[in-house]
Amino acid sequence: MRRDVKRAALGLAILAVYAWFLVATEVSLPRFLRGLPWMADFIRRMIPPDLSVLGSAVTGALQTLQIAVVGTTVAALLALPLGFLSARNVVPASIFYPARALLNLFRSVDTMVYALFFVAAVGLGPFPGILAVVTYTAMTLAKLYSEAIEGIEPGPVEAIAATGASRLQVLRFGILPQVLPLFASYVLYRLETNIRAATILGFVGAGGIGFYVQTYLRMINYPAASAVLLVLVAMVMGVDFASSRLRAHIV
Amino acid sequence: MIRIRGLRKVFPPDKLALDGVDLDVAPGEFVMVIGQSGAGKTTLLRCLNRLVEPTAGEVLLNGSRVTGASPESLRSVRRQIGVIFQQFNLVRRVSVLANVLAGRLGHVPGFPSLFGRFPRKDCELALACLHLVGLEDFASRRADTLSGGEQQRVAIARALAQEPKVILADEPTASLDPKLTESIMGILQRINVERRLTLVVSQHMLETALTYGTRIVALRQGRVVFDGPPDAISPKTVEDIYEGGLR
Repeated sequence: MRRDVKRAALGLAILAVYAWFLVATEVSLPRFLRGLPWMADFIRRMIPPDLSVLGSAVTGALQTLQIAVVGTTVAALLALPLGFLSARNVVPASIFYPARALLNLFRSVDTMVYALFFVAAVGLGPFPGILAVVTYTAMTLAKLYSEAIEGIEPGPVEAIAATGASRLQVLRFGILPQVLPLFASYVLYRLETNIRAATILGFVGAGGIGFYVQTYLRMINYPAASAVLLVLVAMVMGVDFASSRLRAHIV
Repeated sequence: MIRIRGLRKVFPPDKLALDGVDLDVAPGEFVMVIGQSGAGKTTLLRCLNRLVEPTAGEVLLNGSRVTGASPESLRSVRRQIGVIFQQFNLVRRVSVLANVLAGRLGHVPGFPSLFGRFPRKDCELALACLHLVGLEDFASRRADTLSGGEQQRVAIARALAQEPKVILADEPTASLDPKLTESIMGILQRINVERRLTLVVSQHMLETALTYGTRIVALRQGRVVFDGPPDAISPKTVEDIYEGGLR
C-alpha cells in the first residue's frame, strides 16, 4: 500500500517538473497555429529558387565538404593513440581513467562552440572550421575506438603475445586487424555527421555553405537562400548515400 | 629442457589451481598432461610461459629463468615456446599466411614489421610451415573461411614458424571431432619424431593421450598423481585420476 502511495507521489512530482518546463519554455499551441501563415508565406517567397546564385552555392558546398573531409581525416588519425590510451584492456587504470575523463570533458562541448573559439583565435575562414571539427570529432572517435578495442576477442591477442612479440607488435597484429573495419565504419559515420555540422559552421564565420545561407536570409533574398539550401540538401544526401554504401561494404 | 619446482597458482580470492608441482621434461619428450577438468592442466601449461602468472615456485627453460624474468627476457623465452590453443586463436580477418608470419614476430626486425614488412626468408619459412601442415594452397585465404580442423593446422604452422624448442598445446583437439583429432595429433606426433621437438600437450581424452604420448603426467586437484610411460598406467591409477567414471 505504502509503495503505491510512493509511486503516485513520484509520478505527480515528475508531472509537475514537466509542466514547469513547458511553462518556462513558453510552449503554446495557439502561438504555433498563428505562425502557420507566416511559415507558408516564407516558403512561398522562396519559390522559385534563384538559380543565378548556383555558382557561389556550389563553391560554398565544396568548401563545406572540404572542411568535413579534412577535419574528419585528421581527427581519425589523432583519435588512434587517444583510443588505445583509453581502452581498459590495453593500458593500466592509472592511464585509463585520466584519459577517459579528458575525452568526456572535451566531448561535452559541441563543434559549434569550438568554432566560435577558433574563429576568435585564428580569424575567419574554413581553417577555424577544420580545427573545430578536428577537436570534437577526435574526442568522439577516440571514445568509439576505445569501446571497440575493449570488445575484441582476447584469444588472438594472447596468441600473438605468446610468440614473444613486443607490445607494439601485439597492438598491430593482434588488436588492429580486429578493430580496423569498425574504426573505418565509425569514421564514415562521423563524416556524414560532420557534413551536416559543417553546413552551419558558416553561421559563425568558420567557412562553408552556411555563410551563404545566413547572408541571403539576412538580405531577405529568399529565392537565393532556397537555391543554396537545394544545393546543401543535394550534397548531404549524396554524401550520406555514398558513405552508407561504403560502410555496408566494410562491415 | 623444462624444469618446474614447487609451482603453485592461487586464483584470487582463494581458488587453488596448482598445489606444488615438480616436473622435469627432457628434450624430445611428448608429454601428455591428463586429468579431470579443473585439475589444473590448462593452468600448468599457461604458467610455463607466464600467460598466467604463478603465485609461487620456479620455471626454467633450458636453464634460463622464466619466473621472475624481466619483460625483455620473458619475450625471448616466449620466442622459444610455440603455443597451440583449444580455440585456435587465429586473427580472423587476415590471411592464413599473415597468421603464420605472426610466429616470426619475435625474430624479425621490429620497426619494419609494424608496416607489415617481413624479410623474404621469413616469408619462405612461413610457407614451408604451411606446407608441413598441408595448407600451402590456403596461404592467401582469410583465416575465418577455414574449417576448425584447418584453422588448428594453421595455428600449428604459426607455432612452428617460431622455430621453437618446445610446443605447448592446451586441449588442441577439444573443439574437433574424432577424425580431426587423429589428424591433429598425428601432425604433432610427426613434429615430435621428425623435428625432435619437445611437446607438452594437455588432453582430456585418455585414449588419445595414451596413444600418442611418450610420457603421461596426471594431475588431480593441482597435484601430480601419476608420472610415467603410458603402459605403466593401471586401471587402478585411472580410477584414482578420474575419481571413478571415465570422462
